[in-house]
Amino acid sequence: MSDRVDLKQFVSGFLVEADEHLSLANRNLLTVEADLKQGRPSPRAIRDLYRSLHTIKGLAAMVGVEPIVDIAHAMETVLRSADRRGGVLPARALDLLLQGVASIEHRAAELAAGAEVQPPPRALIDGLSDLEPVAVGPARSPSATLTLPAEIAERLSDSERTQLALPGDTRRALRLEFIPSPARAAEGVTITTVRERLMPLAELVKVIPVARAASADAPGGLAFQILLLTTATDRELASAVGLEVERLEVIRKAGPPAELPAEGAGETVIDEGVASRGVVRVEVARLDDALEKLSAVVVTRFRLGRAVTELAARGADVRALQQIVQESARQLRDLRGSIMRARMISVAEMLERVPLLVRGLARQTGKAITLDLDTGKAELDKAVAERVFPAIIHLVRNAVDHGIEAPEERVRAGKPAQSTLHVACFERSSNQLELTVEDDGAGVDVAALARRAGREVPTTEEGLLALLTLPGVSTLEAATTTSGRGLGMNIVKRAVVDDLAGEVSVRSVRGRGTTFVLRIPLSITIIDAFSFRCGRQPFVVPVSVVDEIVEVKPADVTRVPSGKGRAELRMLDRRGVAIPLVKLDGVFHLPSEETPARKAILVRRNGMPFAFEVDQMLGQQEVVVRPLEDPLVRRPGIVGSTDLGDGQPTLVLDLLSLSANLSRRRTDVRA
Amino acid sequence: MSVLHVLFKVAGSEYALPYSEVLHMESFAGATKVPGAPPYVTGLMQVRGRVLPVIDLRVRFGLESQALTADSRVVVVQAGKRALALLADSAREVVKIDPADYRAAPEMVSETGQGFVKSVAHAGSRLVMLIDLQKVIGEEHVDGS
Repeated sequence: MSDRVDLKQFVSGFLVEADEHLSLANRNLLTVEADLKQGRPSPRAIRDLYRSLHTIKGLAAMVGVEPIVDIAHAMETVLRSADRRGGVLPARALDLLLQGVASIEHRAAELAAGAEVQPPPRALIDGLSDLEPVAVGPARSPSATLTLPAEIAERLSDSERTQLALPGDTRRALRLEFIPSPARAAEGVTITTVRERLMPLAELVKVIPVARAASADAPGGLAFQILLLTTATDRELASAVGLEVERLEVIRKAGPPAELPAEGAGETVIDEGVASRGVVRVEVARLDDALEKLSAVVVTRFRLGRAVTELAARGADVRALQQIVQESARQLRDLRGSIMRARMISVAEMLERVPLLVRGLARQTGKAITLDLDTGKAELDKAVAERVFPAIIHLVRNAVDHGIEAPEERVRAGKPAQSTLHVACFERSSNQLELTVEDDGAGVDVAALARRAGREVPTTEEGLLALLTLPGVSTLEAATTTSGRGLGMNIVKRAVVDDLAGEVSVRSVRGRGTTFVLRIPLSITIIDAFSFRCGRQPFVVPVSVVDEIVEVKPADVTRVPSGKGRAELRMLDRRGVAIPLVKLDGVFHLPSEETPARKAILVRRNGMPFAFEVDQMLGQQEVVVRPLEDPLVRRPGIVGSTDLGDGQPTLVLDLLSLSANLSRRRTDVRA
Repeated sequence: MSVLHVLFKVAGSEYALPYSEVLHMESFAGATKVPGAPPYVTGLMQVRGRVLPVIDLRVRFGLESQALTADSRVVVVQAGKRALALLADSAREVVKIDPADYRAAPEMVSETGQGFVKSVAHAGSRLVMLIDLQKVIGEEHVDGS
């Protein structure tokens, strides 16, 4: 079993690294395209591209994904010769290279999904090699012989064999055998660690898993054959990976030092680049694990605080103790901040694919679009980014497909043929991010849309949003290949409002364009919360959404006549303003309790007040919110759970979305 | 080859789950109700630092819920990325069963059992039912909003 885990870790490591290089490649391709339009060469971008592809090729070879190796190899060849020509790509090359990156991304996704990776597209490989009729690289003398068992030799591609046997290479080619076992795993030695530890010492050409008869020597029935190029000694290698020297075998001796091949030079630069950045890539799951453990410490701290309070109640002098408890609370907050910062990615990183997306959409639709991307400097939690990014893609697609008109149509309307799509982001407050997608297109044909949906024409922006987010509503008669039948807006609302407790707003002017604004939290955090009782169980609600907590005096409450089968609705007279008041236990179908001095929690959604009546307020404290992952318990109005120190989960409520839900149920009965 | 199975009782009948699907067993002292959750979800409980939904197997199997006793146990299971707690009347035995000895449940059983019973097997001389975990813990998407 240990070997299976090993391979999986290995692949996920590959995916993380490949992803980074692929996005870098995309960025550089766009730079090259911009340069091309200006008639400039792009030596730097081409060189960077070459490095990215070379690295991807190497990584793919290590996990044995041949199709990616082949595509990357073909692209690398084109790029290497472009580099030699001073950063000038042959005609047509740019599109093929973009296709190439897309094909690799596609295959990486297949690998991630555990699906079978498709062979490289023939047309692409042929197209790339047609670009490059001249042989590149140092003249390849018949390669030096490799001493390799047949079972391994036959699993090497031509390019790998050449790489290993390159006569000018001053490095030795070695074969290292690593046999995973539970015992080794217990010592912390897995294929991943072996690989990581080899990286600074050697270039890994390929890692080949080989089936072995299960024995005491190879309990997993599996061995890894690692083929590498290095200048390090056997002893250095063996001690670095914690294996015996006997596991090493020279398959080619070092070549004469005279002719250092171009690839070798490139390698050195890559390694320096990686090493000098001081960056460690960590899977989010590991950070989550650290956070989880920290949460446990925070809970313990609450309990400690409670115990101190009890001591004080019994008359003990707890001042010194209290100071320590407060100090530790502050330290825990700082520690949590540090971990959360490690989870943050920049908005620029999140949106880096938008230019590529717009470029592709513009070509597909024949529309002329200038993208004005303003990412700002904000950072957001990776988990939030993963949820909000699909929403942004939908908005951009919608803007291009449904918003922006074809160039000739724009000219007829007296607008410039070139349209502008503005995607911007700024940090609205310490915990909120505002993302804007704005086009200068035709705007939404509200009347036509309402007619198709069989609804009344909305008169407010909120009404328009409700109409747009109805499942199945499309602003375009025919569904296009890029944005289907308008389901997108529904998905945007779900991701932003339901999943992230954010807000969506829309503004659209016929003939002038449409603007969508998303407001989302930067992270899921420790929050300052009010705790209260309702229906015989405690709940908490973030302080930030609570406008006010008021006493429910019978004299201030008026009953509203309501239809049959509906929860009772009342009105609370608050300084002359009538506020809808609902009993939270009624909303949740929990047993009701008659308590004296009942309280209502006031929230304000889009400026409109709404009051929830509860049995009893308990207090205010910081709580750690854990999102509820399981679909069985992810219900509207509930954002997560927390532990108030009693070891029982307490639900964290989102009264804003609950109030939205309730008012929707009441007003949208025409649906 | 024999594989360890966890046995648990619901309303007098015995059920089994292979050990590979079980994380651990815990005593049960009640759960936090989740408004709007399906009726067979008793609530949330905290187990070893994780917050898990608890499925009352009695309700899930179409029976009346029962007051908790000292024997009440939850079997914490892992299904893909999901971890959940299954509430049973009792769970204390671990037995060896060879998966090769699983027998398909009689057609009538799988029909009336709503597909919850995948197959049957013998633990010693007793007949036990193997449950279809995926079915029991419900679909990925629960209709709600």
